[in-house]
Amino acid sequence: MTNIIEASNINKKVELDKGHELHILKDVNLVIKKGEFVSVMGPSGSGKSTLLYNLSGMDRVSSGSVVFQGHELGSLKEDELAKIRLKYMGFIFQDINLLKNLSVIDNVMFPALVSKGVVKNKVLQKARKLLQMTGIDKLENHQITQASGGQLQRVGICRALINNPDIIFGDEPTGALDSKSTEDILSILGEISSTGTTVMLVTHDVKVAAKTERVLFMKDGNLVAEKKMKKFDHLQDDSKEREESIMKWMVKNGF
Amino acid sequence: MYLKIIKNDFKRKKVITSTVFVFITLAVLLGSSATNIIANLIQSMSAFNLAAEPADITQMHVGDYDQIAIDQFTEAHQEQIAMQETMELLTIDGVNIHFRDNNSFAGTVQDISFVVQNTEFDFILDLNNEKLNVKEGEIAVPIYFMEEYELTIGELITVVQGAYKKQFVIADYARDFEMNSSLSSSKRFVINPKDYGDMLQGKVGEREYLIQFKLRENADSKKLQTEYIDSGLPANGPIVTGDMFLIFNALSDATIAIIIILISILLIIIASLSIRLTFLATIDEDLREIGVMKAIGLSNKDIKKVYLNKYRVMSVVAGIIGYLLSFVVINLFTSNMRLYLSSDLSGSLKYLLSLVAPLFVYLMIVLYCKKILKQIDKISAIEALRSNIMVRGKNRKYRFPLLQNKFFNTNIYMGIRDVWNRFKLYRLLILIFAVCTFIIILPLNLYNTMNSPEFTTYMGIGKSDVRIDLRRTDTISEDFKKLQEELQNDPGVEKFSAYITSSFPVKNKEGTWDYLNIETGDFSVFPLNYLNGRAPEKAGEISLSYANASSDGLNKKVGDEVIVEVVGEEKSLKVTGIYQDITNGGKTAKAHSSLGLNEDAVLWYIVYLDLREGVDKVKKMDHYQNMFVGAQVNDIQDYKKQTLGNMMNQLNSIVLGGIVIAGMIIVLITALFMKMLLSKDQSQIAIMRSIGLTSKQIQQQYVAGTLMVLIVGIILGVLASEFLGEFLFSLAMTSMGAARIEFIQIIWQTWILCPLILIVIVGVTITLCCKATFKKDLSIVLRG
Ligand SMILES: Nc1ncnc2c1ncn2[C@@H]1O[C@H](COP(=O)(O)OP(=O)(O)OP(=O)(O)O)[C@@H](O)[C@H]1O
Ligand SMILES: [Mg+2]
Repeated sequence: MTNIIEASNINKKVELDKGHELHILKDVNLVIKKGEFVSVMGPSGSGKSTLLYNLSGMDRVSSGSVVFQGHELGSLKEDELAKIRLKYMGFIFQDINLLKNLSVIDNVMFPALVSKGVVKNKVLQKARKLLQMTGIDKLENHQITQASGGQLQRVGICRALINNPDIIFGDEPTGALDSKSTEDILSILGEISSTGTTVMLVTHDVKVAAKTERVLFMKDGNLVAEKKMKKFDHLQDDSKEREESIMKWMVKNGF
Repeated sequence: MYLKIIKNDFKRKKVITSTVFVFITLAVLLGSSATNIIANLIQSMSAFNLAAEPADITQMHVGDYDQIAIDQFTEAHQEQIAMQETMELLTIDGVNIHFRDNNSFAGTVQDISFVVQNTEFDFILDLNNEKLNVKEGEIAVPIYFMEEYELTIGELITVVQGAYKKQFVIADYARDFEMNSSLSSSKRFVINPKDYGDMLQGKVGEREYLIQFKLRENADSKKLQTEYIDSGLPANGPIVTGDMFLIFNALSDATIAIIIILISILLIIIASLSIRLTFLATIDEDLREIGVMKAIGLSNKDIKKVYLNKYRVMSVVAGIIGYLLSFVVINLFTSNMRLYLSSDLSGSLKYLLSLVAPLFVYLMIVLYCKKILKQIDKISAIEALRSNIMVRGKNRKYRFPLLQNKFFNTNIYMGIRDVWNRFKLYRLLILIFAVCTFIIILPLNLYNTMNSPEFTTYMGIGKSDVRIDLRRTDTISEDFKKLQEELQNDPGVEKFSAYITSSFPVKNKEGTWDYLNIETGDFSVFPLNYLNGRAPEKAGEISLSYANASSDGLNKKVGDEVIVEVVGEEKSLKVTGIYQDITNGGKTAKAHSSLGLNEDAVLWYIVYLDLREGVDKVKKMDHYQNMFVGAQVNDIQDYKKQTLGNMMNQLNSIVLGGIVIAGMIIVLITALFMKMLLSKDQSQIAIMRSIGLTSKQIQQQYVAGTLMVLIVGIILGVLASEFLGEFLFSLAMTSMGAARIEFIQIIWQTWILCPLILIVIVGVTITLCCKATFKKDLSIVLRG
């Protein structure tokens, strides 16, 4: 399998006021393979979100390099990074982050409509298919003020998928959801992963990590350990068992 | 505590607060300057009036006259007349007056007269408002000529006519209350009595007389004028009254003051709109603060006080700065006044009067803020703490779905639909853009209108190429006939028309007789634009100037009858039309030639003509100038320029100033608005960037929305200046005798050039504003 992301020795420092600097990521080395389903865990403030933003080119690393499918992200201009995000990446956030003046279907279609050379009808079909897949097809013409958190998160997923990205990043996509919604979202993400799309999630929730095949553990800006598992199969695998083993592993690594 | 909150608020909204502050300051500055001009105008006019003691009635006369008869008349009307003096003038053709090498005053539209200083009243002054006392060999030159020909003190002026030749040294400017203005058609040069005597002996020029009266207070000027003429005293020239001089002297400065006041009012409007914009744009942020304040127990009244105090402090500080600055800036506007009216503008009235502007602005701003702040009453503490209520509030119908868009690319469509979704916010911007456009277009239209060949129609003159005035000489009747014959036979002349103006007794609305200058001739050759009705075409018809037809004139409408006495016989003439005329105090009339003449009171002979295509105008003019010594041949455009030149120059600077001010405002407001919008939208922008929109695409959205708003604003602004501006300007001109001025719009300027400039300015501003916000790491906004 080829690598989709190769990060070597990345550091992220931010200026605090008056010359103070905060060293958030410390010499992180990481390779993510195409099609992998990865989760990142770690204590609050350990730099998980920061890692995600830096790998996706939304933030710029202070040193080191991130290569995304052959593009050295550090050498690209803002707008070139944007084009890569539009074409190859999808994002899901804890705060969902939908555009508030657009309806559900328009939010989903938006990334496609601003892309070059699209046929509007095809976009509409694709969007409807995604809404159907995530089970919110009834909300198509609703405004986003008229939907629940779980429903909105599905809208977010549909939007992330509309341009057939190679990778989906999620920063605690289930963080604000109840356990039922979390289940639903995870099974959708599992399905996406099974179609060959790379998925990388930041999470606090072992239940979420248990559904992935590779768990990264961060602490104080360092990538301290990782745990590989085989792909989760809800028919064969017992998620309870996987959760417990992840817990144990984390405690061992100083959680 | 209030002060602390205000300080915090300022820190939080530095740019916004500063911009609003600048607008308020500018409004005060301009307002104070304008009132300053008015104060100066009032004071310098009264000082000027006091020093010059102008005549209340001036009867011009050419030819013999009997001073003893006038003295008897004065004696008989002692309870009305305070003083009488007759000034003798020597009118000299401009061709005969030389300066520097080979230059002469030929081509001026002004009549040039040489005079000696009066002894009783109507004094001609120097620049210190002291009576001129010109020594032998010296001359004092009217300010108009000093300026027009860029003469300096110490230069030489030579008068040559026949055998007479004399050099004068320019010793001083002549500030002349009665004839200062370019709007009055003659100018007086002052020389020493001895030199004047030499001139008389040398038979230079034509003799004319100003029979002048200084009246007592409460005297009835109108009645006296009629009595004078009825007593058969010399009166073959026009009568000019004192109020005329006053208007002429004050006109151009007053116009400037009015325009500046207008701009200042517009600025107050813009400042108010900006405050409202600020309030709307930061309401989300402010709501939280308001909520906190309510939660800690502040009443609505207290909270409003916090906000209001901010703008109170701002208006006071801006008021003080603007007020003080106005005394610096004022010099830009008063050079004309210093020269023509009074060099010493140290009067103290301006300090008081220009206080009106800051007080007015303060009041407007505070009242407006109070109105805006009423909204706070509607917000409960909990609501205020829950942010975003303004956006959520109600579930509005979803409009403009993305797929409905067939024409634009999605980003442009996003920008345009944003305008609809947040119309309340953009509406203000439309208004501001409209006001800015107004500030640019109004002076531009004004300038274009005054510069257009059609403007002569407001001067009571049909559109024509050349005007020939015949001065009164003994041979004037023959000259007039000869001139017409010449023109008839001149193949270079396309058409011409001759007019004779004479003074007739006309029955006024009280039923007594007034003298009215009536021009007779064929008015179909160079048609005027009539306000109502049409030109007189046959016997028994007359048309009146607007001022004459109005209620303080004869009070007539089209179709009414006017009784005119022609050679002792009363004739009833029907009013066929009303036209606009800003010359001769605005009171004139035109009648068909069959009316005949009042032989004793013929005032002037004028011929207008159009040349054929390709005929050299200058050559033709020279030809007629040389053929008729007593004639004054003028290019009509030149005539207008020389008459209104002063005002047009000042207008010129106002057009430029307007464009600069409006440009500045537009840049500032757009930047301010964008800054607020972008900070309000920063999470939405971050989301779009995270999705993968380039900064160019996001810029496109904002540019599209704002430009659409701008275009609507421009259209409104242009229409407003066309209709409202026309109305305002006509209102201002009514006092001069033009009631309805139609703006000449130069289409490519108003509809293409100006909008293009505005669009470029706004486009660049938005692009620069957006650039600044696209630099940061995305995560900072996204994780909230
Ligand atoms: N732009 C920034 N400026 C200052 N500090 C920052 C910035 N971004 C991140 N940090 C700090 O860096 C540390 C890591 O942040 P990050 O959001 O990556 O943590 P996290 O592991 O995602 O935490 P959580 O699980 O709570 O989301 C935190 O202490 C955070 O306060
Ligand atoms: Mg995080």
